[in-house]
Amino acid sequence: MSQPESSVSSHDRRGFLVRIVQATHAAIGATLAFIVGGAVVAPSFGRRETLWLHAGDLTHLAEDIPLPVTLRIARPDGASEVVDRRVVYLVRSGDSVRAFDSTCTHLGCRTKFNAETMQIECPCHGGVYDVAGRVIGGPPPAPLVSMSTRIENGRIMVQV
Amino acid sequence: MVDHLLAWLDSRTGYRALVRLALDEELPSGTGWTFTTGSVVTLLVGCQFVTGLGLAMYYVPAPSLAYDSVRFIMQDLTLGWLLRGLHYWGASFLVVAAVMHLLRVFLLGSYKAPREVTWLSGILMLLVILAFALTGYLLPWDQKAYWATTVTINIARSSPLVGEYLSSVMRGGPDLGALTLGRWFSAHVFLLPAALTALIVAHVALMRKHGISGPLKPAPGAGVAFFPWHVVKDTVMMAAVFASLITVAVLVAAPLDEIANPADANYIPRPEWYFLSLFQLLKYFPGPLEPMATMVIPGVVVGFLVLLPFVDRGDGRHPFQSPRRMLTAALAAIGIGVAVLTGLGVADLPAGKDPNDWGLLPIAGHEIATGAGNSCARCHEPGGPAAPLAITRLAKDEEWLLSHMADPVAIAPGVRSDTDPAPAPVMSRFKAQAVVAYLRREHAGNPAPDVDASERLAALTYAETCVVCHRISGEGGTLGPDLTRVGARRNAAGIKAVIEDAPEMYGETAMPRFGDRLTPEQIRALVKYLESRR
Repeated sequence: MSQPESSVSSHDRRGFLVRIVQATHAAIGATLAFIVGGAVVAPSFGRRETLWLHAGDLTHLAEDIPLPVTLRIARPDGASEVVDRRVVYLVRSGDSVRAFDSTCTHLGCRTKFNAETMQIECPCHGGVYDVAGRVIGGPPPAPLVSMSTRIENGRIMVQV
Repeated sequence: MVDHLLAWLDSRTGYRALVRLALDEELPSGTGWTFTTGSVVTLLVGCQFVTGLGLAMYYVPAPSLAYDSVRFIMQDLTLGWLLRGLHYWGASFLVVAAVMHLLRVFLLGSYKAPREVTWLSGILMLLVILAFALTGYLLPWDQKAYWATTVTINIARSSPLVGEYLSSVMRGGPDLGALTLGRWFSAHVFLLPAALTALIVAHVALMRKHGISGPLKPAPGAGVAFFPWHVVKDTVMMAAVFASLITVAVLVAAPLDEIANPADANYIPRPEWYFLSLFQLLKYFPGPLEPMATMVIPGVVVGFLVLLPFVDRGDGRHPFQSPRRMLTAALAAIGIGVAVLTGLGVADLPAGKDPNDWGLLPIAGHEIATGAGNSCARCHEPGGPAAPLAITRLAKDEEWLLSHMADPVAIAPGVRSDTDPAPAPVMSRFKAQAVVAYLRREHAGNPAPDVDASERLAALTYAETCVVCHRISGEGGTLGPDLTRVGARRNAAGIKAVIEDAPEMYGETAMPRFGDRLTPEQIRALVKYLESRR
């Protein structure tokens, strides 16, 4: 706020008052900005909660053959709730299991496992992955996204 | 650097001249603290605009989500409880500040010629502020909102000639529901803010055009510059009011009742305190006299305010001297009337549901839904076909919830496979009602109380038996007496005798004997609980 020219003799007192006025308005504005701004900005930095979901049992998996499994992930969405479905491949090697998201890393199409060629193939642009999720052909820039897994009493848990 | 930048900006826009125009005003000598009421109103309007902007980002104006979105703001959103607290309490502060401003203008006779139009724009603003309060009240879509708005619309309906049309337009359809919420929301966030902004601009421009009226007897000496000599007083008042508002909003959480339940005809609605006097007035004008309370008396009060500057045309500004003495007496009578009616209204407030008093039905529901062997968790679990109970919303109506609990799979199409036969009902309707009562309490943000085994048994027994006729803490049938405070009327032996053999006690009564239907443990648990209710 600019200060109009002063012709008053008590110049110092006037300047002091101007500063008090400015500081008080700034304090009120800052308090409101903190509360409203905080509420406006906070959700932008919220992280999605990670969940460990039961994806299947160890006994159902054949060695090195990817098994597509649909996971249902119910999560809050602001004031609403949504259920996401994600298809993941479970690949067993010995007593350990790896999990890959089935989404092609190229442009996000849903890949399919081809049992004849033992490859994971993307129907959109011909991306090809091996059973470990590595790119062996086509345009995908990166391997399939792998997800953390752990095994509890033969139950395969996948982190989403 | 900054000075250069501002000088450049001024050379291109001339903003400094505008600031000077806004701040350079000579006020009459002796202009004091009484002339700060307008600034306080402006501050509070600004607060409502800014906090409302934040709330509108999260609020959803649809019956299925409105309540949950407010709940989300209160519970999940960082600082959301304070944001809504400021907006909620700010409304009350604003009504008080606007009335204070009006009183100041009245007492100092500031509305007199040539300031009639300034006064009229102020009266209009007061009505707009009340319209804000009225429309905002519905938005949370809780029990209070739903039923108070039902009353408001019924009041509009009772007005002569146009009542039926007026109420239809307010409802936006045959029933209070989604269509109503949509138009009240639109009015609250688009129409009314635009109207209020325009009125404030006009009000301030008119105030500057005529100058302020100043003190009754101008002090001798030259006038005083508005900035900073008066602005500092305005600022101190604004800071004091703002600090009080923040304090109230921090200390007292904005209330949120249970979600609106159109099926609950037993809810006793009450408006916000500033409409309580009007509400109370209705009680003294029953039946055909109702328009007296809804139209005539409020109309006379508003008419008095509107006509004031045209009636009061003399020179005298002193409120207690002729010719203004009578007008002051009239306004005082209105004020006393409003205060007395509000007081009577407060004294008449129904006890309502105490959010911390869970009664028995929700406790039974809590036990059924989350206790050992419950079947909800079979589906409502992380990764399950339904969201965990902690994040489910209460978006469906009571009928849906009751049917869902009786047969959870049938009304979630696609979940049951062809080979899977339809299961027997999972829950009796009584149990389902208890669970619904629990979910409503739980979603209203009240943590379930810790209860012992005896109270749990009493709750489950009540939920399957007594609930049909007896009400406790707002839930249950109304055929028999309300048992909320039965402990104050009867001792343990008396309660036990009635439960075991009511016909023996009363002769002819609708209450059957329960001595042989309930186990001694059940009766003991019920007696212990009921005796404690005083």
